[in-house]
Amino acid sequence: MVARETNPNFMNGVPELLILRLLQQEEMYGYEIVQAIRSRTDAVIAVGEGVVYPVLHGLERDGALRSRRKKVNGRSRIYYSVTVKGSHRLDDLSEAWTNLVVAIQKLLTGGQHGEAIP
Amino acid sequence: MAKPFHELRERLLRAGVTPRHVRRYLTELADHLADLRAEEERAGRSRADAESAALARLGGVDNLAKAMIEQRQFQSWCVRAPWAMFCLAPLCLLAGAYFVACVYLWFGWRIFLPGADTPFGSPTGPMYGFANIYFQAGKLYYFGAPVLVGWGIGLIAARQRLKAVWLTVGLVLIAWMGATSRIHASRTAVPGGLGHISMNFFTLGASGQAISDGLLHALVILTLTVLPYLIWRLQKAHSGPV
Repeated sequence: MVARETNPNFMNGVPELLILRLLQQEEMYGYEIVQAIRSRTDAVIAVGEGVVYPVLHGLERDGALRSRRKKVNGRSRIYYSVTVKGSHRLDDLSEAWTNLVVAIQKLLTGGQHGEAIP
Repeated sequence: MAKPFHELRERLLRAGVTPRHVRRYLTELADHLADLRAEEERAGRSRADAESAALARLGGVDNLAKAMIEQRQFQSWCVRAPWAMFCLAPLCLLAGAYFVACVYLWFGWRIFLPGADTPFGSPTGPMYGFANIYFQAGKLYYFGAPVLVGWGIGLIAARQRLKAVWLTVGLVLIAWMGATSRIHASRTAVPGGLGHISMNFFTLGASGQAISDGLLHALVILTLTVLPYLIWRLQKAHSGPV
C-alpha cells in the first residue's frame, strides 16, 4: 500500500486515538509508538515522527497519560502509559470515530441519500 | 546541540513555549533522532546518509515547531499575560519582600533597641557586634530587594527570548517602587510600646531635593537591574539574531 504524504498536522484527533489505543496495550516510548503506528497501519499513516511528542505531552498534561523515566540498554527513555482518564477518553474517541467511519462508509457505498444521486 | 534543534529551540522559545517543555521536547527528539539514525545505519546506510535520512523522518523544523506551538497549553504566562508577569507579579513580590524587611526590622528593634523610639539608630551611640551585623544585613536586603526582583524578571525575559517592551515597563515600575519606598516607625503609635512599622510607596517628597534624590535612586535601581539583560542582548547580538 502506498504511504500518504506526511501531514504536518498529523491529522487532527487521529493521533490521540492511535496513541491512546497503542498505549492501552502496553507502555511505550516515542520511537516505539511511531514504529507501532507505522507497522500496524501498514504505513498508510506516515507522520513527521517528531510531531508525536507534542501530542504525547498534551495528553499527559490533560491527565490522559502518565510518563516515567526508565533506563533501557544504558539509555534513559520516557515511557508513556494510559491513565483511567485516558481510557475513558479513548472510549469516547473510538465511539466518535466509529460513528464517523460508518457515516462516511454509508455515503460512499450509496446509502439513503447516496441512492438519490443518479 | 545539533543545528536543527538549536533553531527549533529558539523558535519555540520566541513563540512563547515554556523553557521546561522546550527542553523536554528537544531531549525526546534527540533520543528519537538517535534511534532513527541507528535504524538507518542497520539498514546499510553510511553515517552521513543515515543522519540526513533520520532528520528527514523526524520532520522539518517548521513542522516540529508548528506541532508544539499549536499546543496552546504549553505557552508560558510571559506570553499569555505579560502585564501580570512583568508588572503585577514583580510589584507583589517586591511588596512581599518589603513586608519581610519590616518584620525583620521590628524584631531587631525589639531585641537590640528595646528602649529606642525608632529602629533607625541607637540612643546610646553606634552599635557593634551582632546587632550591627543584623541591621546592616537588613539594610542590604532592603536596598537589594528591587535589584534582585529586577534581575529575576530580566532572567525570565531572556530565557523566553522576549522583546524588551514589557520588561522595560516592569523594571521602571520596580525602580519607581524601590526608590519611593519609605519606612515609618513609631514606638507610641500602638499602646503598650510594641512599636509600629509602616511603609508607603510611589510618592516623592514635596521638596526639590527629595524629588531629585528619588529620581536618582530610581535611575540607579533601573541601571543595575537592566544591565545584565543588556549584556545578554549584546552577547546574543554578537552570536546571532535574538
